[in-house]
Amino acid sequence: MPNYKSFNYMELKEELKTRIIEALNLEDIMPSDIDDDAPLFGDEGFGLDSIDALELIVLLEKHYGIKLKDAKEGKQIFKSVNLMADFVARNRKK
Amino acid sequence: MEATHTVTITNSSVMVDNRRLMTMQTGTAMLTELYRDHVNDYPKFFKMDLLSRLGFIATELLLQAEGATRFMERTDRAVVLFNHTASTQADQAYEQTIHHREQFFPSPSAFVYTLPNIVTGEIAIRNNYHGETHLFILPTRDTELMRRMLGPITADPLTRSAVTGWIDAPDEHHIHAELQIIQLYGT
Repeated sequence: MPNYKSFNYMELKEELKTRIIEALNLEDIMPSDIDDDAPLFGDEGFGLDSIDALELIVLLEKHYGIKLKDAKEGKQIFKSVNLMADFVARNRKK
Repeated sequence: MEATHTVTITNSSVMVDNRRLMTMQTGTAMLTELYRDHVNDYPKFFKMDLLSRLGFIATELLLQAEGATRFMERTDRAVVLFNHTASTQADQAYEQTIHHREQFFPSPSAFVYTLPNIVTGEIAIRNNYHGETHLFILPTRDTELMRRMLGPITADPLTRSAVTGWIDAPDEHHIHAELQIIQLYGT
């Protein structure tokens, strides 16, 4: 069970935000602009599409050694930074 | 066929209807500068490869010069572009993501631009064009051949105008677009 209040967990979320911005070419977006609970996809998100979802799947494997068994798992995992961080904390291999 | 508006973009200069637009930057940075100064409402620009960014900016300047109502769905305008180096820059960018066996992470967002005609798709999506779109790869820039090829493509009764011309971007320091809007006679 991840320690949600630990410094490492907070650091992971900031790291994820930076990597999301870089991987998805979100120009003009700073990590501080991404709320931990804000939806990443959809009308209230950052205008992301299915190609961005695939890029996030690559991001999980490239930086954390996590291979999704089914791309559809991404729908739940990528809902917000909090959910992504929780998933990475539980499953990371690097 | 009559050209009603023209835009020429090289590595260090931008001309719209024979008037020079002032820019501070060159190459790729110039395209970003032009985006911020003249568009600035389409974040997808930053996801595009170099060829698509060049085509996007060139057509934005062209269509702003035209001054017509934009973004209404239309089927009467073709997008017919000509090029020599295809999508070389995008191909190389994608190859970098799979170059090393130990760091083999193919990038989906780089991969989708490894077809040169994607630039016509980006232009069509932005402007809600549902007419003909083509990109032809030529051995060299040959304006007479381009003119001859354009004729049959726009001969159908539905096409009344075309965004057409040369667009090439082999690398960040060599970009060249000469586009125009052509109104077809008898329309």
